[in-house]
Amino acid sequence: MANVEIRNVHKAYGSVETIKGVSIDAPDGEFVVLVGPSGCGKSTLLRMIAGLEEIDAGVISIGGRVINQVEPKHRDIAMVFQNYALYPHMTVAVNMAFSLRLARTPKAEIRQRVEEAARILGLSDYLERYPKQLSGGQRQRVAMGRAIVRNPQVYLFDEPLSNLDAKLRVQMRAELKAIHARLKTTTIYVTHDQIEAMTMANTIVVMRDGIVEQSGAPLDLYDHPSNTFVAGFIGSPAMNLMEAQSDGVDGAVKIAGENIVRHGVQGVAKGKVICGIRPEHLAVVEPSADGIDVVITNLEPTGSDTLVQAQLGGQLITAQLRERIAASPGDTIRLGSAAENVHLFDPSAQRRLGGSD
Amino acid sequence: MTDASQNHGVDSAPGIGMTAKARMTNLVIDIVLFLFGILMVLPLILLVANAFKTPEEMVAWPPTIIPADPTIENFSSVLGDTPLLRWIWTSLRFAFMSMVAIVITSSIVGYVLAKFKFRTLEVIFILILATAIVPFEVYMIPLYFEAQALGILNSIWGLLLGYLVMSFGIFLIRQNVKHSIPDELLEAARIDGAGEMWIFARIVLPLLRGPLGALAVLAFFQAWTAFAWPIIVTTSRQSYTVEVGLALFQTGFTVDLGRLSAAAACVLIPSVTIFVILRRNFVQGIASTGVKE
Repeated sequence: MANVEIRNVHKAYGSVETIKGVSIDAPDGEFVVLVGPSGCGKSTLLRMIAGLEEIDAGVISIGGRVINQVEPKHRDIAMVFQNYALYPHMTVAVNMAFSLRLARTPKAEIRQRVEEAARILGLSDYLERYPKQLSGGQRQRVAMGRAIVRNPQVYLFDEPLSNLDAKLRVQMRAELKAIHARLKTTTIYVTHDQIEAMTMANTIVVMRDGIVEQSGAPLDLYDHPSNTFVAGFIGSPAMNLMEAQSDGVDGAVKIAGENIVRHGVQGVAKGKVICGIRPEHLAVVEPSADGIDVVITNLEPTGSDTLVQAQLGGQLITAQLRERIAASPGDTIRLGSAAENVHLFDPSAQRRLGGSD
Repeated sequence: MTDASQNHGVDSAPGIGMTAKARMTNLVIDIVLFLFGILMVLPLILLVANAFKTPEEMVAWPPTIIPADPTIENFSSVLGDTPLLRWIWTSLRFAFMSMVAIVITSSIVGYVLAKFKFRTLEVIFILILATAIVPFEVYMIPLYFEAQALGILNSIWGLLLGYLVMSFGIFLIRQNVKHSIPDELLEAARIDGAGEMWIFARIVLPLLRGPLGALAVLAFFQAWTAFAWPIIVTTSRQSYTVEVGLALFQTGFTVDLGRLSAAAACVLIPSVTIFVILRRNFVQGIASTGVKE
């Protein structure tokens, strides 16, 4: 086990810079998730940690040892790929034993470690099968087994669940989390799925265009997004970001005319702001209360809650209401939110206003 | 539900009609294919039959499929009077060594060209492809002088000179590697601690079994049926390959059909045997070229 330190790392392909000075800390035993839209550089960064891509500038170290020039096989890491990368002509057992054989581990120990990993992953009955005889979920488990038997210092996962169907993904998410809780090995996990990030990570690193937008504990990112990108990226359905006008006095902003939302942010100057409210923080309020009048365009009752899409001025906003409402498209309802759930951002820099983050 | 009940109403008569029609179609296809099959195999059968015929029966019309008076005179004469077995042996060695060389060179070069990304390699690949469009006749004579300078005329090495590398083979393997071996497989192996030679031998080669089998068959028969180069590079009767040897039965004025047929029948034996053994590889390898599994 070891911590992973990434310091001011750069990477360019020709004249295109894909990683623009990224610094990340993955403390010993942590589950760090790199998340961001496709093309943000998260996979490249992971491949740089694995040694599959060269580092143009900056330093990556594992357990205090700088590994910039170290070959992948000497980095003491294990990587799980999106397409599993199982050797098709080898059985599950041979696939899992592959790295141990190369390391000339004694046969008895190989067998014991493969059997142990197979037991953890529920693969004991499949050891003599070939990858093509397994389902997607089983193949994914074999890929994980291949990583586990090595007992490496760091696990690297590159979108390991994205080839699985939705149900299996949820199941494997829980299994991965359980395995991490048991092995307590530093893990760096790349995904574009913010739900995976939220549910599995100790630390989430949100990336965009080769830079880190924000990193921190999942609920910190959720509660205090440091800019509009993180605000819109973390959380599903996404946060409503509305143009608003601050009067700079009584802690209220006006949205599209006379709609008033109270906020708890201190020291906001008069002028334009971006007001962010998560769909689940909106609720139907009395006509006399502070709130926004919206025209319903679509209702999606899911049983547990109701998703309301509505028009406010020129923009669409989404509300996730806990109660079932007796309204139909075309109706106007008034939505309000508690002041502490209102986020304000600077419209030009898109940074969060108020607070230390 | 409504569809099902309607179908039930007409008592599934259309279903039976369809089957009968489909059967008819299949029957017609079978007959056509059978006739074509006969057409394809007839020359071979006639060749083998002729080998057992007497000279009189050979020229009889209509030709007989099964000789009326079978004789092994042609065979004993061919095997006794000409070094046919020696020619076959030379051809076998030549074809086998050429096959091994081509399989080795194609797999290594094809793999490197498919998976290692350097600009020079792209240029080399284009050069290799370009060699495929230069006809053999163009460089046949320079190659002869090269063989002469090396002092390997009339030897197996002289024969092999132009048959060690096959540009189509390199192309075939490159395409197969590109399409059927994902980069992640090699990267996973590198992380797992495998060296490049190990990856090639234990991961790439086993996964290329199909195309390499197909290539082996192609390479073997390319050398086995080669004629122009062997007739140039071999000048003594003793060092001929079987193809060149067979041509000897054809003189300026006559064709010794009986003995030619017997010799050709002997020559067929290894070809047919090898094809039967490798048939599955052959079909799979060519059919799966460029298709992602």
